[in-house]
Amino acid sequence: MNFLPLTAFIAALVPALCPAQMLNPKKLLEQPTDTWPTYNGDYSGRRFSTLNQINAGNVGSLSLRWMYRIASVGPQRGVGSPAIKSTPLMVNGILYFTIPDHVWAVDARTGEELWRYDWVDKGGHLVGNRGVGMYGNWLYFLGPDGWFISLNAKDGKERWRKKVADEKLQYFTTMAPMVVGNHIIVGVGGDAMDVPGYLEARNPETGDLQWRWNSEPRAGEPGAETWPNKGAMEHGGGMTWLPGTYDPELNLLYWGTGNPNPVFAGQGRKGTNLWTCSIVALNPDTGKLVWYFQASPHDTHDWDNVETPVLFDAEVAGKSRKLLAQAARNGFFFVLDRTNGKSILTAPFVGTNWAKGIDAKGQPIPDPEKEPKVDGSLIDIHGGGGTNWMPPSLDPTTGLFYVNATRGYSLGYLTDTDERPEGYGGSGRGLWSEHVLEAIDTNTGKARWIHTYQSSGNGGLGGPGVLSTAGKVVFTGDYSGNLIGFDSANGKMLWHFQMGQSLGNGPMTYELDGTQYLIAGAGDTLFAFALAR
Amino acid sequence: MKWRWAILPLLSVVGTFSLPGQTPAARGPGRANTREFLGLGPAPDAVAAERGEKLYGPNCGFCHGAKANGAEGPDLVRSPLVLHDEKAELIGPVIRQGRADKGMPAFAGFTDPQLYDIAQFLHMRVELAVNRGLYKVQNIITGNAKAGANYFSGPGRCIECHSATGDLAHVGTKFQPSDLQQAFLYPTARGFQSSGPKMSKVTVTLPSGEVISGALKRLDDFNVSLYDAAGNYHSYAVGPDLKVEVEDKLAGHRELLKHYTDADMHNVTAYLATLK
Repeated sequence: MNFLPLTAFIAALVPALCPAQMLNPKKLLEQPTDTWPTYNGDYSGRRFSTLNQINAGNVGSLSLRWMYRIASVGPQRGVGSPAIKSTPLMVNGILYFTIPDHVWAVDARTGEELWRYDWVDKGGHLVGNRGVGMYGNWLYFLGPDGWFISLNAKDGKERWRKKVADEKLQYFTTMAPMVVGNHIIVGVGGDAMDVPGYLEARNPETGDLQWRWNSEPRAGEPGAETWPNKGAMEHGGGMTWLPGTYDPELNLLYWGTGNPNPVFAGQGRKGTNLWTCSIVALNPDTGKLVWYFQASPHDTHDWDNVETPVLFDAEVAGKSRKLLAQAARNGFFFVLDRTNGKSILTAPFVGTNWAKGIDAKGQPIPDPEKEPKVDGSLIDIHGGGGTNWMPPSLDPTTGLFYVNATRGYSLGYLTDTDERPEGYGGSGRGLWSEHVLEAIDTNTGKARWIHTYQSSGNGGLGGPGVLSTAGKVVFTGDYSGNLIGFDSANGKMLWHFQMGQSLGNGPMTYELDGTQYLIAGAGDTLFAFALAR
Repeated sequence: MKWRWAILPLLSVVGTFSLPGQTPAARGPGRANTREFLGLGPAPDAVAAERGEKLYGPNCGFCHGAKANGAEGPDLVRSPLVLHDEKAELIGPVIRQGRADKGMPAFAGFTDPQLYDIAQFLHMRVELAVNRGLYKVQNIITGNAKAGANYFSGPGRCIECHSATGDLAHVGTKFQPSDLQQAFLYPTARGFQSSGPKMSKVTVTLPSGEVISGALKRLDDFNVSLYDAAGNYHSYAVGPDLKVEVEDKLAGHRELLKHYTDADMHNVTAYLATLK
């Protein structure tokens, strides 16, 4: 990629003397090696590391180097024991990671705690927190109750806070803020109360609003015709609760949007419900929509389409193309041309009986017969979806997209038959399911290999993310507490470590003093591995 | 269908779902649990809400709708003022003074207890819309019981393992219909519980040929452990030389999931519900 458009901004930001903690913004434009400066490691969302000190030949000697356990927080409201779902940032030898209401800085070499920041929430969902964003010396964190908070990376002291969402309207704020140029991008979650979704850019120095993109059009705007009326559109959902990706050359921000509301009851919102359950490309300087692709038109299954839109370049019919791939919660794997959103391929990676076909634009066509019904409809996909928020990984050297997926069946019930339903308006019930790791060929959309996790445990939704590496090892976890290294080419298990709790975040890696570290979060503990000395 | 045995069967993962990345602790059913998870604050006063509904209906419903989710006047269920109120401290003054600029008349005559009751009615409306722990599956007995009986003894081959007068006697009284539907589709999913399946029987054949069997404790890609009949614990590393067989009573249920039409499912539910 060519990063020229941002050089002027970088020159302006880097002062003559940098404090030790400062993130050099150039690092945001490189593949991650000695720094992991943003949620996905870099803007592409690939979670691919060029490091190969740990590799398929020696991964068997990967050993625990240190652990950091969250010992003093205790059960969190409504969710129980602390669970690390954040991907740590690593900048200048310091790791920054979070759980809801708390941020830590620990030494990346030893796991020693440097500081901890505690937020006292007044509501909101403690379902998870994905981590912090970093700009120069400053960290950005979201309290669960709609607070956007900036900390000094040096000591964890709060600089300021800004309200970005009202938790009483059931908005929640869990994402890792994303830094693009001089914009801090912040999204929101929450679908309990039929409120509209949005995405904001905020000023890194003041936290003030720069722009807001609304997940629904306003009356009279293009897209409004996909809603039956203004009321339905204003309650339309489309939350933006996971970090997106960014192409500096095209200067386009890619974001996934959540399900429309009411979640399971579609009778009051006939139409395709733009721009919910979509991938949207926005101009990061203005928040203006450039293109969209709707993965689940008129969704009635709670299939938020927020899964990472992963950017990569590859040849299609002999021509080099700028592409975007997503394994969506609705069970389909999509590849798009990221310059214009046009479909390259659409292929199921789990059961997809909710769709009766694919339209000319590559978008699935929902089957009305498989919408939630008063007496239940049987869906051949797990209620949590074919996958969920856990980050996937794309290895450009194998051309494979690695995703933890779930096969299964569920029942969809409509519980609110009013012409103006509210809230979820229905419910889902789980039946049988099993977890698999799929390595999907980005050329064909077909899995080149699939590993089915053997498990007598009850994994539930869980959230093991994936990391691929130039060492030809893919790291992820099962639902029984094992962190596993797979051969990236064929799925053979090369190494594992029993963590006692299951992997709950996306593993990440970095090199310090010539040593490659692998970091994984499981439950309340962060684990660091390196080759045995 | 006879009980089947299969090598390393896929065991079940069950439970309800409603939120992304939700942890098991948050997934249980029930009003208080969901309230706490959603951060909804104090529960509404149901008795006061009932009194409040009688005041709300004639005085407020004509503008704000009978369900308070908006008509000519604004939606009160999604009103930040209502949502930030607890005991009429915010709602009360607005009712008493009205909002002349927006066409809302003043209702100066309400007493403090009446304002409290109206506020509690609104909080109950919020509760009913938002707290999905309260949602009830409606009547799901829509199928044809006779067709269900035919499926049970015919294409479903259910009678190979089950009997309407044996193990399934009285299931129509033991289960709510929605639980019954979920339970016959996949028995370990029964009743909303996210707890794991009951212990299965496992047989491990060691490289030496020795056979150990008992109740499976744990199985993953790397280890298997079990308690034998005497209660002794055994644990083994999984490898190519170790044969592990887990009793799989549910293979037939999984196979049927691929074949049911929604009509088959509703018919079988209707049939099982007749087994009183």
